[in-house]
Amino acid sequence: MSLRTPLAWKNLTHDRRRLVLATAGIAFAVMLMFQQRGFRHALFDSTVEIVRVLDADLILFNPTRFALSNEARFPREAIDVATSNHQIASVIPLYIENLSARLRVEGGRARPIRVLAWDMNKPILLDEECQIIPQLFKLARPGTALMDRLSQKTFGFDLSKTAPDVQVGELANKKIEIVGLFRLGTDFAHEGNLIMSLDNFTNYFGYRNPDPRAIVDLGVVKVSPGENPQEVAQLLEKQLGSQVRVMTKQAFIDREIGFWSRSTPIGIIFTIGAMMGFAVGVIICYQILANDITEHLGEFATLKAMGYRDRYFIGLVVRQSIYLSLFGFLPGLIASWILFWFNSNMTGLLTRLTWDRILSIFVLTILMCVVSGLLALRKLMAADPASLF
Amino acid sequence: MPQDEVVIDHEINLDELIASWDPDPSELSINAKYVSHFFGEGETKKQVLFDNVLRVRRGEIVIMTGPSGSGKTTLLTLIGTLRGVQQGSLKVLGEELRGIAPEATNELRKKIGFIFQAHNLFESLTAAQNVGMSTELQGLDSKTARPRIEATLKRLGLGHRVNYKPKSLSGGQKQRVAIARGIIHQPRLILADEPTAALDAESGREVVTMFQEMARNDGCTIVIVTHDNRILDVADRIVSMVDGHIRSDVLVKRNATMCRILNEFAIFRSLTPKAISEVADKMDLRKYSAGEEIIRQGDTGQDFFVIGKGEVDIEIDGKWVNTLGKGAFFGEVSLIKQQPRNATVRAKTEVACFILTKEEFQSVIDSSTSFEQELRRALFSRQ
Repeated sequence: MSLRTPLAWKNLTHDRRRLVLATAGIAFAVMLMFQQRGFRHALFDSTVEIVRVLDADLILFNPTRFALSNEARFPREAIDVATSNHQIASVIPLYIENLSARLRVEGGRARPIRVLAWDMNKPILLDEECQIIPQLFKLARPGTALMDRLSQKTFGFDLSKTAPDVQVGELANKKIEIVGLFRLGTDFAHEGNLIMSLDNFTNYFGYRNPDPRAIVDLGVVKVSPGENPQEVAQLLEKQLGSQVRVMTKQAFIDREIGFWSRSTPIGIIFTIGAMMGFAVGVIICYQILANDITEHLGEFATLKAMGYRDRYFIGLVVRQSIYLSLFGFLPGLIASWILFWFNSNMTGLLTRLTWDRILSIFVLTILMCVVSGLLALRKLMAADPASLF
Repeated sequence: MPQDEVVIDHEINLDELIASWDPDPSELSINAKYVSHFFGEGETKKQVLFDNVLRVRRGEIVIMTGPSGSGKTTLLTLIGTLRGVQQGSLKVLGEELRGIAPEATNELRKKIGFIFQAHNLFESLTAAQNVGMSTELQGLDSKTARPRIEATLKRLGLGHRVNYKPKSLSGGQKQRVAIARGIIHQPRLILADEPTAALDAESGREVVTMFQEMARNDGCTIVIVTHDNRILDVADRIVSMVDGHIRSDVLVKRNATMCRILNEFAIFRSLTPKAISEVADKMDLRKYSAGEEIIRQGDTGQDFFVIGKGEVDIEIDGKWVNTLGKGAFFGEVSLIKQQPRNATVRAKTEVACFILTKEEFQSVIDSSTSFEQELRRALFSRQ
């Protein structure tokens, strides 16, 4: 049986109009999955983006800080204690202000924005595409800040490429000058980001008791060359006691994502969303395949009468569903790409289309079509050759 | 006792006639014994086939007729392994179908050619590809199969339509493609449901001729369910079903021979050809070994006998009176009268007799009272 009639292919491509419809249906399901997955990843990516850009081996934080947006802090002494270890190259305190940092333009309504501050002389960031490092010199002047160009438009600032060099607004009831734009992204807890020098931070948020610098949000740790971050983390945990936790950067990122995906309904909602996308895909794909089978029931029954085995029909339907998933995937991917681009532009959420995510949706698409194919197969199995006479 | 010496035409081959009663079981393509079938379960259970017996020899062309709902289709699906046998025994191509394993079913199906009333062609495949679905299953690669497919389609008048899809074919052409698909793999048994219904006279005839060739040359057994009178002439056997019973199962040739034999007898001559044919159909074969008593003087007569083979002695009161040979008949009085036998008949050699029982004879002539009067007159004049 070297050259078998490609019945699955022929049946699928025979009716062009239907093929287009089927492809569109699958593409829609693919898009739904990408979208839901995309939102889910956007939530996580955006939330941990600030950690991702940190040049850190370990992160120090208050163990009760269940998420980045939570404002549990720890005393600065811990940083000093940690720094004194020879296994550690540097520990830089990172200050974050969330709820009380309210920003507005003149005449606008004040909205909370996340303010990040650190000692500008210390290298805390990886050189990423966020364009922060080259602009840090601008922040030496009092009353200045850099603003995330992906911040919500509702703040009232011009965040476009053609934005003026300096824009004036009000932060925590004090005048502030936005002297540059960078790119970090928002998340579900934060509508935008500001970066300022530690001096300015102390000035704007002087009420952080007793000394604004005495309470730290995160400690950004670089271990000495040749040291194992894992081991250093254990050492620090012992040394610092219960008030500070130490984690590797990746573990901290995972912990943050774990919180959003497991402890909040948001992560669950998007998981359900992705499942719905999958389910919708299964239903669409099932409809297409089942319809096709129903229309050819007489023919399939004839094949059964001729002596074709169940195995042949299973292969036929599986092949057909894989073809369908291949047809539907590419347009679905392209449509998702376009949609992600709009999403990113409108919400400032980061929706990355990485290869492993594309691959995972691709596998899901094939799975989706095969599952529906196997469901539809039951219809085919019921084709009764005895009904032909 | 009858004394008229009937001489049966020498052209009539009585040996072949006798053989037709008792085919070698290995010769049988279909051997159904007391096959019954039910549809539904519990209270809605309905019997659709009643103890059907059918034996079809290899190379026979069988035409099945009967009104819809008579069970012929059900019987056909049973023979075709498309339905499980519930009661009785059904052997097809030597394989017992009752309780057959799925694997064996598939293997058997490959030896059967199905021609359904609906053509059931894949719209996405060309005529040749549709036919190829059959050769592919037989393990033929497309290179080998292709010339055969084209030849068969050409034979069926579709030489110029080989690469057409069903959408561009007429109903009759589609039906012929379906027929090609059903016979291309040279099946040993063809089951066809109204194969010629959608065809014009010419292509219908061509199909039937192909069937005949396959039956004659390849020993392919063919069962056709049809109401098409145009093709009745190809039948070796005509099976007529009513209400789940095989009402008549006529081997056409045997029946014709038997009619010729019956026509030799004065008592049947006044029957209409139809009635004679029905009587002939009721004739059975019974064999006796040498010395066996066939009828005994004084018993109530039940059967009418025609000797097909061997010789019998007639004895009255224990004394030999006569010896009858091939072609002679006796016991005809019992067909109409309730009289004790007036002689004993004993097989002298091995004897085979064609037998008509009184009941069966009665059931045939009941419809024809004039015939009975005729017969009475004929008998009366003889005394």
